[in-house]
Amino acid sequence: MGKIKVQGLKKSFGANQVLKGIDMEVQEGEVVCVIGPSGSGKSTFLRCINRLEDITAGTVVVDNSDINNPKTDINKVRENIGMVFQHFNLFPHFNVLRNIMFAPLELGKQTKEQARATALKLLDQVGLSDKADAYPSQLSGGQKQRVAIARALAMNPDIMLFDEPTSALDPEMVGEVLGVMNDLAREGMTMVIVTHEMGFAREVADRVIFMDGGYIVEEGPPEKVFGSPQHERTISFLEKVLKA
Amino acid sequence: MRTTRTFLIFMSLLFLALAGVPYGTAATEAAPASEKVYQIGTDTTFAPFEFQDVNGKYVGIDMELMEAIAKDQNFKFEIKSLGFNAAVQALESNQVDGVIAGMSITNERKQKFDFSDPYFDSGVIMAVREDNNEVTNYEDLKGKKVAVKTGTEGYTFAESVSSKYGFTIVPFDDSSQMYDDVKTGNSVACFDDYPVLAYGVKQKNGLKTVTDKEKGASYGFAVSKGQNKELLEKFNAGLTNLRANGEYQKLLDKYLGKNAVSTANQSRWGLVKSSLPALFVGLGKTLLYTLISLFFAFILGLIFGFMKVGRNKWLRGIATVFVDLFRGIPLIVLAFFIYFGIPQALGFTMPLFLAAILTLSLNAGAYVTEIIRGGIQSIDRGQMEAARSLGLPYRKAMIKIIIPQAIRVMIPAFINQLVITLKDTSILSVIGLVELTQSGKIVIARTFASFDIWLTVAVMYLVVITVLTKISSRLEGKVRHG
Repeated sequence: MGKIKVQGLKKSFGANQVLKGIDMEVQEGEVVCVIGPSGSGKSTFLRCINRLEDITAGTVVVDNSDINNPKTDINKVRENIGMVFQHFNLFPHFNVLRNIMFAPLELGKQTKEQARATALKLLDQVGLSDKADAYPSQLSGGQKQRVAIARALAMNPDIMLFDEPTSALDPEMVGEVLGVMNDLAREGMTMVIVTHEMGFAREVADRVIFMDGGYIVEEGPPEKVFGSPQHERTISFLEKVLKA
Repeated sequence: MRTTRTFLIFMSLLFLALAGVPYGTAATEAAPASEKVYQIGTDTTFAPFEFQDVNGKYVGIDMELMEAIAKDQNFKFEIKSLGFNAAVQALESNQVDGVIAGMSITNERKQKFDFSDPYFDSGVIMAVREDNNEVTNYEDLKGKKVAVKTGTEGYTFAESVSSKYGFTIVPFDDSSQMYDDVKTGNSVACFDDYPVLAYGVKQKNGLKTVTDKEKGASYGFAVSKGQNKELLEKFNAGLTNLRANGEYQKLLDKYLGKNAVSTANQSRWGLVKSSLPALFVGLGKTLLYTLISLFFAFILGLIFGFMKVGRNKWLRGIATVFVDLFRGIPLIVLAFFIYFGIPQALGFTMPLFLAAILTLSLNAGAYVTEIIRGGIQSIDRGQMEAARSLGLPYRKAMIKIIIPQAIRVMIPAFINQLVITLKDTSILSVIGLVELTQSGKIVIARTFASFDIWLTVAVMYLVVITVLTKISSRLEGKVRHG
């Protein structure tokens, strides 16, 4: 039984159908990178997994919970799915430590002492121990994104979703964020990553999914998708991005 | 959930306060007749019939006549100084039991009101500026502007001859504004009831009378048609008694005779000083009404603001209607509608303070709703998404993440609303709320010192608003930095 199971997923915004029928599964501990041109529906697909977008048709089952079932407590499911956004979305009115401690405390998962200890440990893990008291506005983009990862990890999730985590970063800061993600992957975290970092996808992913026009066009191990792409659209996309 | 419950409790209290009104009134009406305190509406600025003396007490022919009759006939009354038009409307909507305001008995008014025996024979007279020697009769008015007071005999007369003599009418709500218009030269002349004008000239209002009195109607005390018969009978009986024993003549002499009282010999500063206590009381009312109204406006704004950003389209619709309605109605119309319109339609008496607070709260509430909606929507969508993705319920995310950030955005707009509402209280003077502006009008009605008093009033507003703005900015700084 897969960790995430998606069947016949469709999503429309008004008359605009963005996802036209997605079927896929993610196994426990698997790292899946989703690539594809902009407008292909990658981010929407990712946001459907934790129901940040309501789905139009199909089913999404996470940890055996059908997330679209009205009886499912979506908040409980989300506690188990960490999410990292392109624009970090740190809480600007909290300092770094409080950003990380916020959810576990608010949801009664940990005592204040436990939450603090966890937060400090996570900060150490992402290499930002000295920034505990800083406010988000005082951090660089790369630092912000590492704090955002720590914040998502504080709920001790089984699954992590990454929505173009390095797209808003200056090039010299991409490495520090990918490094943290690489560590996570090695520890066995189940991850779905929407990314434009082909090198990273090739190196870290167990499986690469190429999306275009609201469909999964091609998927497979990275060496296969990057090395000998089958589909015409995959070939032309990879040609464009790898040349640049 | 907790917050919803708090809103509901506040709303219920508000509605209870509203619902309690008619019951309260019914109870007073059921009390024995001897206990009843009649509510008598009157004008604010109709010297020598009604005006405030230096001590803030209402004096004048109407006031003293009413007192003498009440004493003679053994009943109790309370004066409501509303302004002439407001008093007439209040009588129509049964907000008051009777009106004594130097009101001419006309056929038109007889359709709606029952009048007492006439107690004063008036007439219309024309006045010009003291130093104006060019306008001495109606022919000289050709092509000029003439100030008149709405709803008076002077107005009716001016209207009847305006085309014949070729002048334009400029209407005002009270006598002192009309006089000021002549004094500043906008209008060359004014028509007013002769005792009023004669008294004003005696108080050195800067005008002089130039024509003989046009024979006019008589003044009467009015009650709503078919109602308060016993009050009308008592008034007539008392008037007959006072005329018989000569007391009434003495009263007229006191205000219109050769030795009539005058306040014109005070120095300018002395005059301002003596009016300060009344103005400060008015200022206190202004502040009180501002703060109470803003409190309720804030509650309304929270309720409707959150309805507007919420996901339920029905609630969103209701909130939109609320905002459109109360933002779209001019405050002055809303005040009239709430104080005169609704009570007349539903047949109950609306206390002035309630009407005033409702008017301001609903108006400001509409704006606060928009401030709150705008503040919340100005927060990046990603903040809500980040909080929800961590497993937080919508309400918790709203309270802990969105609102604290939104409040910082809203504070300047709130300060702005505070200033606007404070100034808007002055509009409620039209329904007779004696706040700072109305206090100023009342003082001017007695003293005719427009410049000094309006300057004083303006400075008072300015000082208070500046102080409040400074305090708020300091508060804003604190919130911003932690």
